[in-house]
Amino acid sequence: MATVHLASITKRYGDTAAVDDVTLDVADGELVTLLGPSGCGKTTTLRMIAGLVEPTSGHVFFGDRDVTYLPPRSRNIGFVFQTPALFPHLTVADNIGFGLSVKGSPKAAVASRVDEMLAMVGLAGYGARLPAQLSGGQQQRVALARVLATDPTVLLFDEPLSALDRNLRDTLKYSILDLQRRTGKTAIYVTHDQSEAFAISDRIVVMNAGRIEQIGTQTDIYLRPATPYVAEFIGANNGLRGTITGSDGSGDSARWVVDAGGRTLRGLHREDLAVGQSVIAYVRPEDITLLDGAGVASDGQENVIDGTIDRVIFEGPTAQVRVDVGGRELRVDVTGNQRLTVMQRDGRVRLAFGPVALIPAPA
Amino acid sequence: MSAGVAARRPRLGARRLAALVSHGYIWLCLGLFVLPFIALLVQSLGARGGTSGIDNFSAAIGSFADNLWWSFRITALTLVIDLAVCLPAAYALVRYPLPGKRLIFSLLQLPLYVPGAVIGLSLLLTYTFVYRFDRSLGLVLAMAVGSFPLMLTPIVVALKDLPIVFEEAAECLGASRWQIYRKVVFPLIGPGVSAGLLLCFIIVFNEYLVTLFVHPPTIETAPLRVFNLVRTAGLAPTTAALAVVMQVVSFLAVLLFFRIFGTRHFRGTYIL
Repeated sequence: MATVHLASITKRYGDTAAVDDVTLDVADGELVTLLGPSGCGKTTTLRMIAGLVEPTSGHVFFGDRDVTYLPPRSRNIGFVFQTPALFPHLTVADNIGFGLSVKGSPKAAVASRVDEMLAMVGLAGYGARLPAQLSGGQQQRVALARVLATDPTVLLFDEPLSALDRNLRDTLKYSILDLQRRTGKTAIYVTHDQSEAFAISDRIVVMNAGRIEQIGTQTDIYLRPATPYVAEFIGANNGLRGTITGSDGSGDSARWVVDAGGRTLRGLHREDLAVGQSVIAYVRPEDITLLDGAGVASDGQENVIDGTIDRVIFEGPTAQVRVDVGGRELRVDVTGNQRLTVMQRDGRVRLAFGPVALIPAPA
Repeated sequence: MSAGVAARRPRLGARRLAALVSHGYIWLCLGLFVLPFIALLVQSLGARGGTSGIDNFSAAIGSFADNLWWSFRITALTLVIDLAVCLPAAYALVRYPLPGKRLIFSLLQLPLYVPGAVIGLSLLLTYTFVYRFDRSLGLVLAMAVGSFPLMLTPIVVALKDLPIVFEEAAECLGASRWQIYRKVVFPLIGPGVSAGLLLCFIIVFNEYLVTLFVHPPTIETAPLRVFNLVRTAGLAPTTAALAVVMQVVSFLAVLLFFRIFGTRHFRGTYIL
């Protein structure tokens, strides 16, 4: 069993906590992404799992085994760094075989494993080359083959694609996912790139200032952000400050009634909130319907806000409409034909959205 | 029948003039540097006192071989000691947090800016009154003390340039400390090591002042022999011949170094 369990690990550098009381369970064969801005502690967390950094407190478990104080070489991990970090003086084959040969595997076994790995990452026949003779993407694939060759318990990725160009990133992230699925390895993947995290993760851990903000699937994180930080960090969002004044409905149709600057809005009922609590209610730009000034909202769109268009930014697949609603600006994304017609509108518009699209988060 | 008359290259345009001047300057510098060696060579071929130039050299080589052999042995041993001291020292200085790191590094450079005579005198005192050990070993140690900063500095620079990610990658792949050092770090700091070896070789091989102080009576190294001959016999052609041989040997050694350390394993080209 290759589960990974972090039991409130903390890393302090002097007075500042780079990682502050992080607890996380990763299931066998799962790919979990640590997502956050630079300096949020995600890389430090990963390095503690690898043993490259020793936690100030807390424990790291692989299965039932406490590996907190084991050096990296005794943990049987595969670590893919930001740079391929291939040994420049060794051939591709020697790089891939490095992990096996330092553990004393016989030469023939190493050679056949190297061939197997080269074929796996689609670089059969490249064994005799030096790393400098490969492109950036090929180098990172060799780095992948190098860690897979040792049959590690856990795969750790530290922004492995950030040094590559955009197209290569797109193809390689699926190669990584594919290899992880085929080998069934437990994997922890650090990135600051949301689209990368959304494309490959089973679950995403959003980190900020050394702490975990939310753990969940893509839909959890995008549609049910637990904190204002997550709501604003993932994708674009409109935040409306307000207070919960009451609730209505019950069961699936239960709603919080939010007073946001004199406007009464209905939002998703979350158990962790209470009447009287101040909140920020979030609504995604793509969840808002843009109507004419006198337009009628369709059924279920209980929230209606009137405003005037400030400006329209045509972005290709979508157009971003900036709407002034009583002194503050909301962003509405429109698609299809509407992104062309919106430009001919006169200023007056009406914004409509359902209560499910309005997510109150504790302010 | 071409359509027009091709423009002639101006005989002495401004650019050409500048090129001539800069070339001339380079040759002048080369001349200034090489001149003393030529003078030495001419002197060594001189036939004063009835001996011909060839005789000067055969006499020099005949009696010089023993001194050269001592020089080589002492230099080789010194290089081994320098390497054994400097590789771990440089690694510790670069890779580990050490209080007063800069102060330590500056102190370690001390032998470079203390005059050779002072080092020689202090070592002589130390060996004679404190340690009382074998003088030939003392000579080697004296050389090591005087030369190790020249080994240490290039290795420190090379290590600082080596991203730590290679060591981390090796460690995560299961390599032990020693394996990391032997298979990854050492090959990749090759340029620093070879620069250090070359510098130390040149300095130690040609050192006579410290040798003068601490050498045992039975050992006379090549540079010391040259020095002694100049003192006793003056600028005799045979002495000049000795000096020329000394130069040629140094030059060949440098060539050999470049030949060995220009190979793949010591080139240490790494990419990020």
